[in-house]
Amino acid sequence: MDKNKLGGHYLEKYNEELESLRNRVLAMGGLVESQVIDAVNALVAADVRLADQVIKNDARVNSLEVIIDEQCAEILARHQPAASDLRFIISIVKTITDLERIGDQAEKVARMAVHLAEKDRPKNQYADVQSLGERVARLVHEALDAFARMDVEVALAVAREDANVDREYESVMRQHITYMMEDPRTITRALDVIWALRALERIGDHARNMCEYVIYLVKGKDVRHVSLEEMERAARGETPGEE
Amino acid sequence: MTLKNWFKSGSPWVWLNAGAIAISMIMVVGLLALILVRGFSHFWPSPILMTDLITHDGREIRIVGELSRSQVLPAQVLRDAGVPIDDDIQLVTRHLIKQGNRDVWGRDFVWYPEIGMSQWSYPRDVMRLERREWGDFYGFPVRILEQGRTVAEGDQLWPELQQRIRRANDIFDEIRRIERREIGNVNHRMERVRLSERRLDLQLREGRITVAERDQGMAALAAQRLVLDQEYAVLQEQLDALYKDVRRDTLVTRVMDGREWEIPMAQIIRAIQPNDMNVFSKIGLYLKQFWEFMSGYPREANTEGGIFPAIFGTVTMVFIMSIIVTPFGVLAAIYLREYARQGPLLRVIRISVYNLAGVPSIVFGVFGLGFFVYFMGGAIDRNFYPEALPSPTFGTPGLMWASFTLALLTLPVVIVATEEGLSRIPSTIRHGSLALGATKAETLWKVVVPLATPAMMTGLILAIARAAGEVAPLMLVGVVKLAPTLPIDGNFPFIHLERKIMHLGFHIFDVGFQSPNVEAAQPLVYATALTLVVLIVVLNLTAISIRNHLREKYRGESD
Amino acid sequence: MDGMTTMTEQNTMTHGVTAGLFENTERKRLRLADETIALEVQDLNLYYGEAQALKRISMKVAAKRVTAFIGPSGCGKSTLLRCFNRMNDLVDACRIEGKILLEGDDIYDRKVDVAELRRRVGMVFQKPNPFPKSIYENVAYGLRLQGVRDRKVLDEVVERSLRGAALWDEVKDRLHQNAFGLSGGQQQRLVIARAIAIEPEVILLDEPASALDPISTAKIEELIYELKKEYTILIVTHNMQQAARVSDYTAYMYLGEMIEYGDTMTLFTNPRKKATEDYITGRYG
Repeated sequence: MDKNKLGGHYLEKYNEELESLRNRVLAMGGLVESQVIDAVNALVAADVRLADQVIKNDARVNSLEVIIDEQCAEILARHQPAASDLRFIISIVKTITDLERIGDQAEKVARMAVHLAEKDRPKNQYADVQSLGERVARLVHEALDAFARMDVEVALAVAREDANVDREYESVMRQHITYMMEDPRTITRALDVIWALRALERIGDHARNMCEYVIYLVKGKDVRHVSLEEMERAARGETPGEE
Repeated sequence: MTLKNWFKSGSPWVWLNAGAIAISMIMVVGLLALILVRGFSHFWPSPILMTDLITHDGREIRIVGELSRSQVLPAQVLRDAGVPIDDDIQLVTRHLIKQGNRDVWGRDFVWYPEIGMSQWSYPRDVMRLERREWGDFYGFPVRILEQGRTVAEGDQLWPELQQRIRRANDIFDEIRRIERREIGNVNHRMERVRLSERRLDLQLREGRITVAERDQGMAALAAQRLVLDQEYAVLQEQLDALYKDVRRDTLVTRVMDGREWEIPMAQIIRAIQPNDMNVFSKIGLYLKQFWEFMSGYPREANTEGGIFPAIFGTVTMVFIMSIIVTPFGVLAAIYLREYARQGPLLRVIRISVYNLAGVPSIVFGVFGLGFFVYFMGGAIDRNFYPEALPSPTFGTPGLMWASFTLALLTLPVVIVATEEGLSRIPSTIRHGSLALGATKAETLWKVVVPLATPAMMTGLILAIARAAGEVAPLMLVGVVKLAPTLPIDGNFPFIHLERKIMHLGFHIFDVGFQSPNVEAAQPLVYATALTLVVLIVVLNLTAISIRNHLREKYRGESD
Repeated sequence: MDGMTTMTEQNTMTHGVTAGLFENTERKRLRLADETIALEVQDLNLYYGEAQALKRISMKVAAKRVTAFIGPSGCGKSTLLRCFNRMNDLVDACRIEGKILLEGDDIYDRKVDVAELRRRVGMVFQKPNPFPKSIYENVAYGLRLQGVRDRKVLDEVVERSLRGAALWDEVKDRLHQNAFGLSGGQQQRLVIARAIAIEPEVILLDEPASALDPISTAKIEELIYELKKEYTILIVTHNMQQAARVSDYTAYMYLGEMIEYGDTMTLFTNPRKKATEDYITGRYG
């Protein structure tokens, strides 16, 4: 769907406000995405300074959420949006909640990175965390992309990919449980890593949520709490606003 | 440059408009002021002067009278008129003196030159008599005679005179009452008996009744006639007695040349000594005279007495006209606006109606005379009043035809105003009624017409204003200078539409231009004009207050 | 429609519909197929002289629901509304093809008595149009037209109608004063009372609140919620929020055509047609 979907109102100011809202959401998304990447990198490279940076930046994410919330409330009060505009505002209100949660999870990973930096590094040099972290960061990126372009296909791809992320998380978890059983000295370190992995998995879920909002935004269908197949069916059904 | 700015500022327009309104105001106020001053001052008792004049041929005459007005003329004018005046005099002042006593001198207004006049004096005992005939009388009271015997003289004279005038007036009122009411009533019934007799004859001739029936009817009528004759005889007897009684007293006066002059007490309406009156009694007299003017009957070819019949006739005619014109105009307007199909034909009709308002009123008079009086009135007489023929009943100018003619004259005004009002009623109101299941007629009569009543009243106000002031057509269709009876009285059927009426407008014309005594009539013209103006204002104010009341009632949606 | 929580019923929760708040977690949208049909328009074309004002309109109107007509000025929504009680008959050049069925009978049938039809299909106009009469006489007007003279009956109906229009408490002490003394909002409710006094089946509202202030508007809207328990209501409005608030079904019209017609909830959150979307979001198409 084209980027100009937001425009076209008789009221030019309304267009501007919607556009600025979207840009701000994308800015917040960009910040959150880099938080995720930085947190994972800090953990993998045992970079305490980078981890501290991530923890500090979370406050910016939080304040962005508040600002965007206010902006949404203002648009609701001023313009009483209907139909696609209404869905746009609703999905943004929800999206930024998820983005904020992603920020929180990234902060959690960063805290684990601070912990783990004082400990011995495992043989695999956190390759598993890095792999999952990169996948999750890509998920966040693509979810934002889907939102930015209002692209249902990308959103569906993210939902599918999230299932894969969940599977990888489970296998990595099992691996770490095996490590802990083999060598109980590693348990403290392994627990921290598991915390970080768990946070990354949650980030993937939030990214999937964001994609559900994109489908709601574009198709007007609520696809939360349904199976992937149903979601695909809903997303590929008739498209409003194109006749 | 400043002039240019002044023009640009727009203030010239303000001045122009304000100037126009100022000039209009001056004209209106001036007109009203003239009528007010001349009309109201007529009733103020002016002092009576006395002076001696030595004429150019050496005679000395004494002049007693009221100053009417004064004039300054070039002496040559008088010389040309044959009055010898010394050559060295350029300008001459002369005075118009109302010396009354038309029965003594023949002339009651006389011009006297100021030259040769002695000092004016205002003797306290000179009196003015208002009389039933011959106009005012000026002179000095000498004595009162009762059947030839002197009963009062000197100091007792004046109170005695007032008392006896009152007595004579009371008797006279009684005579007037009997003549007007009772004998009038008897005459009216007698006339009906006569007409009934004729009707019986006519019916017999047409074969509608038998001889026996006619004779039976005739006998009944003869009995009635007998009763009436007896009633009449009784009244006549009463009258004779009263007349004898009223002739008992006589006032002996001395006029200005010293002669003694006898005036029957019955002739005198009022005796006053204006030089001896203070302001309050003058005011009292003023109000009394004003009231008599408004409520009295005219005397002396309308130059004296009151104008009550004219007021009454005008009001009656305007009322009857309103009763005729309102329903006609309203119905016509409703048809034009609500029912008729809007098209070229309707436009032609509407333009015709509007233009009717511009037709000169005398044309309406001619039409009224030709159509209403001769055609319709003639037809009515032939069909309903054959017994009265050849003397016409409705086939002659009268109140009804005057009202009809005026109704026709004012019809366009009512139609235009009503149409205007109807068109201003918002369609939402009509739709509201129709949407409740009302038919068009129900909507019209229950909602639209009540809302348009203020506009109809506006039309009626304009109609009244025009009708009350109209004179020209009325002269042809029912207004006369002197009507013997009022159009409404106590005799069945109480409202006599066939009678001729008096009218203020025509009264002004008659008194002012047809009167044998122009000088005496002049103040009456103003007073009558004032009355007409006041009457129209009162009629209009009444209608306006009714309209405002209606507006208040239907405030909001209507105009 | 038992046991269903509709969007509008949620709006009326303040009136005591709190039971079922947690029972009916599954919400269904209104569907015309489930409704009793009060009016049916079949292939209606309307012409003003040469110009066609309504083009092939077909729709069903649900009984005891509020159906709103929205669309830009001149789209024909008012014209369509006036077809339902034949107010268009008053326009000389107006010509109509097609049918409108009121409970199965064509109202444009030659045998139909228009006055009788208008008694069954009441109408309230944009500008409050009380008659120049007292409040009482305004409400009693329709009954008097039908020849009702009995004072007791009239009193009863006037009170019931004024209560029905939520105006009784405000005017009960001045029933015999002129109706023009009321405020605009009160006048409009008086007009509604006047319409319901003759107990119509359908009430047509032609922009009933466009001349009123927000509080009066809210009162009128509240009244509409109440009235739909007994009457089928059709409303034309320029105010989309108002249509969204009060109606169960909404029709979007444009240039004499019915672009989209469906339940209000769907139409205002997720319309099927782009034209509708553009109109209700304020975009140029």
